[in-house]
Amino acid sequence: MTRTLISEEIIAPGTGKAIELLKGQVLRIEQVEGGQCVDFNAFNLHDYKEFMHCGRTRTVHGFNPSAGTFLWSAPPRENAMMYFLADTVGRNDVLFPRCSAFLYESAYGFHDHTNCHDIQAEAQREYGLTPDDVHDSFNFFMFTEVEVGGTVKIDRQSSKPGDHVELLALMDVLAVPNVCGADVMRTSNFSLKPIRVSVFQASAEDLAQVPALPRLASQRTPAQFRNPTIKATRELTRDPAYRPEFTNAPIREETLEVALSGEEAAMLDRLARRELYGDDDGAALRDVLFSWWETRFLTAANGAPSMETDAAG
Amino acid sequence: MPEIAPRTVTLRLNQQQLELLDRTLPRAGVTDRAELVRLALREAAEQEAAR
Repeated sequence: MTRTLISEEIIAPGTGKAIELLKGQVLRIEQVEGGQCVDFNAFNLHDYKEFMHCGRTRTVHGFNPSAGTFLWSAPPRENAMMYFLADTVGRNDVLFPRCSAFLYESAYGFHDHTNCHDIQAEAQREYGLTPDDVHDSFNFFMFTEVEVGGTVKIDRQSSKPGDHVELLALMDVLAVPNVCGADVMRTSNFSLKPIRVSVFQASAEDLAQVPALPRLASQRTPAQFRNPTIKATRELTRDPAYRPEFTNAPIREETLEVALSGEEAAMLDRLARRELYGDDDGAALRDVLFSWWETRFLTAANGAPSMETDAAG
Repeated sequence: MPEIAPRTVTLRLNQQQLELLDRTLPRAGVTDRAELVRLALREAAEQEAAR
């Protein structure tokens, strides 16, 4: 089965477009002239409070995700919203949030300037969302690096006409790509260019590429929230009926006595991180224990669902 | 090098940490928590020596 084209349009520089993308549809974001960064947000089409979360996504897939990864929603949902199906360049960013009017005023002196936050806000206003509903963006084609010492930098990008990324919707989403407004920095090689966006009905081959994911109890829905009601006022006022119900609180500690042979005591002395724990053998051994557990049993990095093991089970 | 004397170490573990240990016992093939801690220590020492 081949893909069926559903729609296609050009997004002009300085603009963005909110697109309803249903589960099983593919969004292609394509370079027309090349060298253009595309900022991207996504919302659950049926519950805008669930949105694509760069923090979660970069925790699971690193700072520069490419094809073969997922776009995740924020806790406590933590659903794979979209599958990153194809990427002809292989360089994207989830480190930088999105450029804003403040940046161009504070650093460049502009009173008005195209910026990703305002473009995103204007595009999603078509669906009743406010500027406060813009979230950190997944920045396609943006070339960023973390330098020694922890600083981050943006460099020029190398995308050419026809280069594209493709995202497969795993739920109904409102996908909002926008043409990044940064023309006075390297993000899009110092110019703003149009972008082509196309929506396809996914082929069987597309769908077959998606790795199986486990469904975990911790992937919560509003029906499980203690407060499922979306707040409708701006003022924050205390709920006098509030009674805290923190998970597993109070935390209770117990002692565990572990008899070590002379040989095992010597092992502990070699492994103990005395710079952290001093002469506290119990803390040093606890560190050894849980560090060992990570090495032996943790199959997925940084809290990602362990797709390989859990999904198979 | 002088021999190290046997000693007993007291770990303080909370209910969540203990739950993880208890779930790990069958996966590690041991039957009690102290045995699991000693296994972790021995395997960690082997890994350290192999580096």
